[in-house]
Amino acid sequence: MRHEKISAGLLLALEDYEEQAPERLGLQARSLGIFARAGSPKPPRTAVFIYCDPDANLDHLAASGIVINQSTGNVRTAFLPVGSLDVLSDDPAVHRIKPSRYLRSLMDVAPQKVNLPQFKRNTNLSGKGVVIGVVDSGIDPKHPAFQGRILRLWDQTLPGSGVLEGGYGIELPPSVMTTSVDTNGHGTHVAGIAAGNDSTYGGVAPNADLVIVKTDMQDAHIADGVRYIFRIAREMNRPAVANLSLGGHADSHDGQDSLSQIINALSGPGRIVCCAAGNEGNDNIHAEAVVKADRLGKMRFRVPDGVGIAWLNGWYASDNTFEVSVRSPWGFKTPFQAVIPGGNPVRKYKLLNAEVMVVTPGPDPSNGAYNFFVQISGNFLSKSVKEGVWQLRVRNTSSTEGRLNVWTLDDRSSVFFSGKSARDAMKIGSPGAAASAITVAAYTTKIEWSNIDNNRPEMGLDLDDISDFSSEGPLRDGTPKPDVAAPGAMIVSAMSRSSTPMREYRVNDDYLVMAGTSMAAPFVTGVIALLLERDPQLDPQQVKELLCNSSRIPGQEPGTFDPKWGFGLIDALKL
Amino acid sequence: MALSEVRDARDCNLIVFVQAESDVGDAEAAFLEGLGVGGVIKGQQMFTATLSAEGVDGLSEQSWVRSIRLSQRLGFRKF
Repeated sequence: MRHEKISAGLLLALEDYEEQAPERLGLQARSLGIFARAGSPKPPRTAVFIYCDPDANLDHLAASGIVINQSTGNVRTAFLPVGSLDVLSDDPAVHRIKPSRYLRSLMDVAPQKVNLPQFKRNTNLSGKGVVIGVVDSGIDPKHPAFQGRILRLWDQTLPGSGVLEGGYGIELPPSVMTTSVDTNGHGTHVAGIAAGNDSTYGGVAPNADLVIVKTDMQDAHIADGVRYIFRIAREMNRPAVANLSLGGHADSHDGQDSLSQIINALSGPGRIVCCAAGNEGNDNIHAEAVVKADRLGKMRFRVPDGVGIAWLNGWYASDNTFEVSVRSPWGFKTPFQAVIPGGNPVRKYKLLNAEVMVVTPGPDPSNGAYNFFVQISGNFLSKSVKEGVWQLRVRNTSSTEGRLNVWTLDDRSSVFFSGKSARDAMKIGSPGAAASAITVAAYTTKIEWSNIDNNRPEMGLDLDDISDFSSEGPLRDGTPKPDVAAPGAMIVSAMSRSSTPMREYRVNDDYLVMAGTSMAAPFVTGVIALLLERDPQLDPQQVKELLCNSSRIPGQEPGTFDPKWGFGLIDALKL
Repeated sequence: MALSEVRDARDCNLIVFVQAESDVGDAEAAFLEGLGVGGVIKGQQMFTATLSAEGVDGLSEQSWVRSIRLSQRLGFRKF
């Protein structure tokens, strides 16, 4: 026996088999691909993945009762008596043996991890009578998971006469919905998690109806999309929950941006918005500096090769005033620019191989705070920003110490802060920062899966833990966000047939696996649809309290807040 | 698109949020209609519009307008 070739779980099963402990084998049966029938004279058999030489001829193993399902390939599947694992592991062409695993229905394991199936069995809730709105990349209207349940589709990207909420795009009734296609696939996957209907990979609220907005991603138009969803629901006298698995960072990170304010204004009894927290948990997009009066503060940020344009957006309280300068990797710097309260606050500077624009307006009307924008681009000689370590320099010209928070933005999401000012916090931007929105962090419920080619990709995420990519709160003003965590990796849901995902992620012709807070948000959107079915008049605060009170960070007291977890992983049985 | 990138000041290609000092009434809605802004605006304090640079200029002069903010492009939250 070559134990090093056999996975740990399978070794355990083998140990039990050799100890003649069939009751324990029975416990492992579903999870480890073991087929043992009580009282059967036949020995237990197991389904396994074999990792071997791609061209290995394994026909001779049939003599030991080993049925290998493919004759070529470096990952094959096989069915064999447990006792033949010995022979299989001794074959020099075989490098590794892993058990096949039983995959649970309904996005695999995710719902079980939050006790959703039990909750639905106990309550008989399915989302019936509730509208789930999805503002995203569209939907595959012909996907069997949504048949007959897409009420309206507003495609903002197609030419047309628009809708009441905006004179652009086109509203498509069910008969011509296939005019709109989801080539990205994100929206179809998101809608499937919230409301897909399928015996194997169904969503959380499979009887809810859908209103879809295929957006052009402009946050003003996303606001129009939310307004549209709530208007359609109101006309049908139904409660609605709108899902926003999208976001950005060109905002004040305090929920006072325009989209967040519109979400707050539109939300109310029977009108809930659910947002993704963001996926910048591993990215140093935020820096913080506390600068004493009359002192200079510095923040380093690295621009990689090929960035066409980079922005910095800084925010600080109105009882301070900062002057702003930028230093290039060559060492040249722009003059310090103070707040320009009247007139055009934009100034342009030329550095060697770079053009810098600095905007230092007066206090922002939405929150009274100061903010500045720095835009760095190449010049006529170089189309991209000079690669290397740049420096933001801020001079505190006020009489008191002041705190400054700055976020990077760029066309490739690759400009990050380095050094002591980089801070893993306050990385939830609009619309996740909206006070009335339910903002969702991602929790990892699955790290490997069988893809369409029978390979088993494995993600480098920690199973049964908060997903490391999930963005941290709180907001810039200290408001707790995210609110709760929900399954967000790796989630199996509907695949748009107009999209072309990598085969690595495809589970079959209709479903694929994705990860992100984009996936966690629609999970909670589906849960909210169930709650609205139970009580159509729930308002955002009541929904938030229900969800937060039924959540918990593992190992912590209920009610404990953490900037990564929010109030913890939801437990549907406590709703 | 930003104001500095506008080539023709009359082209309606600036997507913006407009915040009024209070809910938009008949007079304000009529002014907005003159700029080509329709839809659900009356009774709202914050609304969206697609304007020309000239339109932004004119709107910014109105005393009932608190702020005009350029729309930003958001991204999906897929890991």
